[in-house]
Amino acid sequence: MAADGALSDALSEFADQINRDERLRQMIRDWNRWLRCVALDTGSSAGLRVQDAEVHVVDPPSEEDILLEGAEELLVGMFKGEVSPTEPYLDGRLRVKGSQEDVLRLDFLSLMIWGD
Amino acid sequence: MNRSLEVVSVSLGSARRDHEVTVERGGVTFHVARRGTDGDLHRAEHMIQTLDGTVDAIGLGGIDISLRVRDCVYVLADGVRLQTAAKVTPVVDGAGVKDTLERSAVTRLVADGVLAPGTSVLCVSALDRFGMAEALAEAGCKVVYGDLMFAAGIPYPVTTADELAELAKKLLPQLGKLPFHMFYPTGDEQNRPPDPRFASYYEEAEVVAGDFHFIRRYLPERLHGKTVLTNTTTAEDVALLTERGATRLVTTTPVLSGRTFGTNVVEAMARAYAFGREEPSGNALADVLQTLAIAPEVRVLS
Repeated sequence: MAADGALSDALSEFADQINRDERLRQMIRDWNRWLRCVALDTGSSAGLRVQDAEVHVVDPPSEEDILLEGAEELLVGMFKGEVSPTEPYLDGRLRVKGSQEDVLRLDFLSLMIWGD
Repeated sequence: MNRSLEVVSVSLGSARRDHEVTVERGGVTFHVARRGTDGDLHRAEHMIQTLDGTVDAIGLGGIDISLRVRDCVYVLADGVRLQTAAKVTPVVDGAGVKDTLERSAVTRLVADGVLAPGTSVLCVSALDRFGMAEALAEAGCKVVYGDLMFAAGIPYPVTTADELAELAKKLLPQLGKLPFHMFYPTGDEQNRPPDPRFASYYEEAEVVAGDFHFIRRYLPERLHGKTVLTNTTTAEDVALLTERGATRLVTTTPVLSGRTFGTNVVEAMARAYAFGREEPSGNALADVLQTLAIAPEVRVLS
């Protein structure tokens, strides 16, 4: 299935933020991962490929290392930095599947971009 | 007859490290017990509720209530939950004494010539001891702050206290809301074998500083010639460091009956001794530490 509009655009913004930040690229230099986002309400989905210290939007992978599921508005807001993922994660609106270390790293990256 | 005070440290750490001692300090007999809950927050909360009103002070081990970085205080939700489980007995996490004792430890090592401008230091955890982090930088040491590496596995060494403070500002307001175990080893996690991923940072450092659970988690096979500056250590930990060739062990708190207790215990002792639920102000806590002869301790291992 091809990557969909708003979600794909939000992931693209997230990827750009990382790719133009030398410090963030250093933080992912050892981290090669497939990430898939699925909007449970609209069925939209999109993917990210993290490899060799770069992040790119891709078609949703068939097998992912990290899976994020939630309402489309929530997912878009998170990847655009308009919504912090912490509370949705804690109250279950955001479902994340992946190793604890991967989930924490993703959280760190978004906070490094939009924290404070 | 000496006044007698009872202090219990409720720790998220492994119950394997439980211990009890009786010590005489400042003309008072302290009965000090450490009770681990193997990472079980509910059990810790229940234990505190049960102890409330029956002991003179409770220390929180293996978790912080808040982290102080320069003028900012970042609250940790799980720590607050445990602190507020007691309504009568004061509950402390050691933050009140950390800044004093950790800066004293650095001052002592400067005076002893172990730390000097250019000394390479690996501080595996600095956000939970910013006083030490800053004191090391002020001493002119070449410091790597390893919080991102050792708490989150992110291969990024922080090299200035300013950048550390910047990271705190970005990360801690939100991370403080997450379950504590996500970024600090609790329970069985503390017994995991060492991870060799960041061994090169140990190799380059002359001094390794920070929380001992993080130090141990990534401990390399050889620590030849190195000084370890840390907090809570058991006789087993000392044997491990000695076996691996560490030269010197500096603990921010003194040895009490064969082991060092955490700063949470020391702060609980001080609160029980002089303050109760009242928050000490100014230099009052430092003065009490002096009365109780609580100061960093240096042991030569090899």
